[in-house]
Amino acid sequence: MARVELRHIGKSYPGVQALDDVELAIESGEFFTLLGPSGCGKTTLLRTVAGFIRQERGEVLVAGQRIDDIPAYRRNIGLVFQDYAIFPHMTVGDNVAFGLSNRRRPRDEIAQRVTRALDLVRLGGYADRLPHQLSGGQQQRVGLARAVVIEPQILLMDEPLSNLDAKLRVELRDDIRDLQHSLGITTLYVTHDQEEALVISDRICVMHSGRVHQVGTPWEVYAQPATLFVAAFVGAMNVIADLPVDAAGTLSFGAEPRTLPMLAGRDRVTLAIRLEDMTLVAATEAVPDDALALDGVVDKISFAGREAFYRVRLDAGPQIQAHVHRPERHLLEHSGARLRLILPLARLHMFDPATGRRIGDAS
Amino acid sequence: MNRLPRLDFWSGVLAVAFVVVAVLMVWPLYSIFTASVIDNRSGAWTLANFAQILGHPAYQAALINSLIVGTGGMIGAMLLGIPLAVLTTRFVIAGRSVLATLSVLALVSPPFIGAYAWIMMLGSNGWMRALLADVGIVPPPIYGMFGILLAFSLKFYPFVFLLTASSLGSISPSVEEAAESLGAGPWRRFFKVTLPLVFPAVSSGALLAFVLSIADFGTPSIVGGKVRLLATTAFDLFTAEMGGNPGLASATSVVLLAVCMTVVVLQRWAVRRRDIAGSLLRRPVPRRLRPAASAVAHIVCYAIVLAGSLPSIVVIYTSFRRTSGPVFHSGFGVESYARILGEVPHVIANSFTYATASVVLIAILGTLIGYILARRETVAAGLLDNMLLIPYIVPGVVMGLAYVVTFNVPPLQITGTAAIIVLMLFIRRLPYAVRSSTSILKQIKGGIEEAAISLGASPSRAFLRVTLPLMMPGIVAGALMSFITAINELSSSLILYVGRTMTMPVRIYLSVLDGQWGTASALSTVLLAVTGLAVFVVYRISDRKESAFV
Repeated sequence: MARVELRHIGKSYPGVQALDDVELAIESGEFFTLLGPSGCGKTTLLRTVAGFIRQERGEVLVAGQRIDDIPAYRRNIGLVFQDYAIFPHMTVGDNVAFGLSNRRRPRDEIAQRVTRALDLVRLGGYADRLPHQLSGGQQQRVGLARAVVIEPQILLMDEPLSNLDAKLRVELRDDIRDLQHSLGITTLYVTHDQEEALVISDRICVMHSGRVHQVGTPWEVYAQPATLFVAAFVGAMNVIADLPVDAAGTLSFGAEPRTLPMLAGRDRVTLAIRLEDMTLVAATEAVPDDALALDGVVDKISFAGREAFYRVRLDAGPQIQAHVHRPERHLLEHSGARLRLILPLARLHMFDPATGRRIGDAS
Repeated sequence: MNRLPRLDFWSGVLAVAFVVVAVLMVWPLYSIFTASVIDNRSGAWTLANFAQILGHPAYQAALINSLIVGTGGMIGAMLLGIPLAVLTTRFVIAGRSVLATLSVLALVSPPFIGAYAWIMMLGSNGWMRALLADVGIVPPPIYGMFGILLAFSLKFYPFVFLLTASSLGSISPSVEEAAESLGAGPWRRFFKVTLPLVFPAVSSGALLAFVLSIADFGTPSIVGGKVRLLATTAFDLFTAEMGGNPGLASATSVVLLAVCMTVVVLQRWAVRRRDIAGSLLRRPVPRRLRPAASAVAHIVCYAIVLAGSLPSIVVIYTSFRRTSGPVFHSGFGVESYARILGEVPHVIANSFTYATASVVLIAILGTLIGYILARRETVAAGLLDNMLLIPYIVPGVVMGLAYVVTFNVPPLQITGTAAIIVLMLFIRRLPYAVRSSTSILKQIKGGIEEAAISLGASPSRAFLRVTLPLMMPGIVAGALMSFITAINELSSSLILYVGRTMTMPVRIYLSVLDGQWGTASALSTVLLAVTGLAVFVVYRISDRKESAFV
């Protein structure tokens, strides 16, 4: 258990800036997730901490000590891989024992700790199996046991669930979370799956093109995205790009103009709103003062059981997706109908079209 | 209502396959076993032949020498092949594919070229010996164990190299990183994780080197000097006492076969639990070495491969030197080629005719059997699959003697004909074609044929119109590889040939024994050129490249 500090980490590959001045602090015992699309630098960052990649600039500190010059095999760091990386020629027990025998622990201590670690991942009694006799989910549990049995200072996980099918993924996700909680081990977790990141993490770092876009709790990242990229990447979001604003901050887009003080002095804004934050009403219904109204025609309705998605073509041009929770039957017959979308100003996200940065909070 | 198995086309193919395997393989091997336990004169059952081999010092020596040669050739091949594989897959080595191609060429070149090329280089008048003497190094005499092991190590290292390299290329880097993150330093990681993972491949390569070393006949009889081996002993017993003591020759063959079988079984046992097929999300990426280390790595790699290619280079060079008979003159010329075209045109023609004939048979039957083994999982198909492993293990000398024992008496008296040579080449190389055909079929989804049938094509039409065209590149590549081994075959041909049916390798062998270096080199160069051309075509049509050859 240890605090991890990343100071001004930079790394480039020919033609790509893989990591651009990354500055992060992971608190002791925290479950910290690096989230981003492939190629965003999250795996590079994780492998830098693991010691498989040497950064060109900056330093990595674990518990206040620089570890940059320590080779990977002397860093006390547990690693869980996307492709499990179970040693196929060793039994489950030998896999888990490997790290301890490298540390020259006495034999009976190894046996004891291996048994305990396998019990912890609910694989008690599997010690003598060979990896190819196990399912993917079980193999990843072995990977987890093997990584935690050495009592590492930090646990690193590189998309550990992305090779599993949906049901197993949810199950193992919860197990990982519980295990981390009970051991209290500082964990750096990499994923491209935003839902996974929201569910599992204490804090999330959203990355794009080698840069940190936002660090925050799952709620902050979802409800107050710091950049347009975060807004679009985490959860589903409607984006209406680059609208004109007058000097007083009045937005003339929609059924009735609305003035937003925080937009005063700007000439353009990009709006974003979550699918579930809009209300669908009849085209004639009055617009509340604290909301923006957009009129349009229902293009398509996709029914998905407990919810339905409406695709609305706005009179002003762009298409918008809206979400209806527990749709009633009559609502599904509205294809081609005119309706009005009510967007509460408090739920609107506004971004500077030039920089992509968030503009204050609408309230 | 019909309870009988349906007699369709494929049942017919299966029946033909069993007849072919029974007549051309099981029967001869059975005959040689019988011959080894029957007294030549009385015809009674006896174990006297085996008693003599195990009791007589000369035969004991042959057995022990064979084991030394097999082990030595294997160790030599591993000492060259494993470092080459590790360096070329783990680090950035310029010209990696050139190295692999040269290794393939060394592998498929005529088997005994190495032996006589090394005599030309390291023999008492060899230029390399003179060169080494100038810097104060005196290598041991080339004739004897040193020459045999040198030739075998450099001949068979590509098996170890290519198999190990391909295995190293299929280990996910995650596995090695996992070991490292768990505290295993570079050496411990290599010996505890990497090496065990490539062990099946390394041991398969080593096994091939061992079996081929003790089975090889040309090399030890050219460069072996006084060193007697099982293969050469069996051959001498047979030729020296034609019709006199086939029992002892057969028994020697059986001992040789037993050694090969034992080693194969041991290797199978050693890799029994290693069913290792990981998912490959990540492929290993070669690392860039620092300049000094990189220079050393390059020198090691190129030195090994160049040493392996040296015999071929020497042979080609020699073939263009001016000669008259065994005497070389200064300068270059094409006298050697004029001589082979004038003196032995029928030998060249024979080689091409026999190889082509056997390859046509191999391609047709191999494709059909391959189809059955890949698509029909019946007991009979499984049995056939196992029987086809046998030719991999049986040394050429043994098979040659078995053919003579079996086919020089009625009902099938074909010794001295071209047919016996063609059939021998056919049965020895058939399994290779079957295997390549099976592996192509595994890549062609069965569904595609079902699609054709659902669209109204009969099963045979579906095979001919859809599956066969998809298999074609693989069939051609397999046929060319069979052609390479067929045209370079020495040991069995040497036993089966008569004057009319002499082939190029036999002629080269006889020329070398007579000291006709020019003739030998020119014929060898023709073989090398044909082989190189075939390898080139295989590279063009097969995406497996060098791994197609092991």
